[in-house]
Amino acid sequence: MSSSHLIGVFEDESGLVKAVEEIREKDLKIEEVFTPYPVHEVIHAMGTKSKLQVFAYFYGLFGALAVLAFLYWTSVIDWPINYGGKPFNSFPSFIIITIILTIFIVTVSSLATFSGRAKLWPGKQHKIYDLRATDDKFVIVVSKDKTDPEKLSTIQGIMKAHGAVEIREEEA
Amino acid sequence: MKDQIRLSGSFKIATGILIGIGLVAFIAGFITDPDRTWANYLLNNYYFLMLALGAAFFIALQHISQAGWSAAFMRVGEAMAGYIPVAAIFFLLIIFGIHSLYEWSHPDAAAHDELIAHKIPYLNVPFFYIRMILYFALWILMIWLIRKASLRADQEGGLHWFHKSEHYSKILIFILAVTVSLSAVDWIKSIDVHWFSTLFALKNFVASFYHGVAILVLIVFLLHSKGYFEFLSGYHLHDFSRYIFMLAIVWGYFWFTQFMLIWYGNIPEETVYYVSRWGVGWKTLFFAEIVINWFIPFAVLLPTRTSRSKPVIFSVVILLIIGHYIDLYMQIIPGTTGMLQFGFIEAGTFLGFAGLFALTTGYWLSKAPLIPKNHPYLGESLEHHF
Repeated sequence: MSSSHLIGVFEDESGLVKAVEEIREKDLKIEEVFTPYPVHEVIHAMGTKSKLQVFAYFYGLFGALAVLAFLYWTSVIDWPINYGGKPFNSFPSFIIITIILTIFIVTVSSLATFSGRAKLWPGKQHKIYDLRATDDKFVIVVSKDKTDPEKLSTIQGIMKAHGAVEIREEEA
Repeated sequence: MKDQIRLSGSFKIATGILIGIGLVAFIAGFITDPDRTWANYLLNNYYFLMLALGAAFFIALQHISQAGWSAAFMRVGEAMAGYIPVAAIFFLLIIFGIHSLYEWSHPDAAAHDELIAHKIPYLNVPFFYIRMILYFALWILMIWLIRKASLRADQEGGLHWFHKSEHYSKILIFILAVTVSLSAVDWIKSIDVHWFSTLFALKNFVASFYHGVAILVLIVFLLHSKGYFEFLSGYHLHDFSRYIFMLAIVWGYFWFTQFMLIWYGNIPEETVYYVSRWGVGWKTLFFAEIVINWFIPFAVLLPTRTSRSKPVIFSVVILLIIGHYIDLYMQIIPGTTGMLQFGFIEAGTFLGFAGLFALTTGYWLSKAPLIPKNHPYLGESLEHHF
């Protein structure tokens, strides 16, 4: 797939955040932002909403109920064994297993959901626009194909105004 | 920025009335039912001491972790910890009611009870008092040093006193870990002198941190509604509710661990504690305790939106005031009077101590600027966002 991009490289996060905010105020689309570490303001500025928490909540609910049902089935219905005179449905002793397995289920299914949503899988060759984004630079990537050609110069101007150290176009 | 608190006349009158109610309840209680009154005296004194210790632990934790977001709220914690000397006086007065509270304090208790005889080298009245004085001396000393460092930093600035408070906080945390645990065993667990639990002290330590933070949040909110802390943002609220949320889980964890181990082990000298808390009426409180202190804060503060809402956190904190009372009620009353009752004596002593706690905290808040102005992380705290 061939596409061309406008890449702005920033020295620090405050300039990046301001540039992102201003570009989005003008109703222009940013394809992706790369930062060496998580910057919460960028997430706010990009206006992206994650539903991962909602998914995790329902995974947890499902996990807890499923594990309790499984424990009930094994120790009361399918194979009841008397341990030290305890009732078959020993609810307090189920709790620890439920907690641990719920955490496990939430972790694994959230990871799977996240990977699926972000189209990540083991061995995937990911497009890296600027290697320095893994070190000490902050990078904004704007798709040239999806942006009005005359708006590109506006974006370039915004980037420059907020201290972009490097702006280049890349055809790939 | 508005940062000097002056105690208004109506506040002093209100706390004065509360203390008056407490005194009346106390005197009336002594005439009608001294045992019950002493049990409530211990309960409420320990209740507010726990809040003060929790606040002390909170500020110590902020110092050693060099937390930025909480720098502006340190004075509230310091003011709450200022209640410790008051609690010390009330605890020393327990000498007059020690026989109503503790079975082991009876001179002939050891003679016909092998278990008490075995514990007498530790649980005897003189040593009980030596330990009590030691705990309070250590707490008051460390809190005084931290408070002094904080006030000196206001005058002199620089990082010297900041490092000093961090150093003191390390010592305080170590002291609190040992003494809060031992004092819980001394004052509360020894009511049920025949009972064994290794998790009891830890559970009360967590409870003190948990409810101390909840009351600290309440005080911040009350001051905010009076026009102080005008920088209070959703991010501060989120951090406060994360504290409450996290401690709700830890509290529930220890509550459940103690219960489950005893339930699972099923040894008579351990289960007797829960058997006496499983009767008619008690059972309701038993479940109310875990629902109020764990389930409701956990469920309510789980979503981001509710954990940034002031009314929601406020309601949770108000609920936790009740939750903390039930927690201590379940620990103290079955072993002392053994009767499930809530009347004027209970309500009155609670209100009296609450008034005293409010007055003491207000007094210490008014003694210093509300915002520690030379704290190196103050800017980060005022602009806190994530």
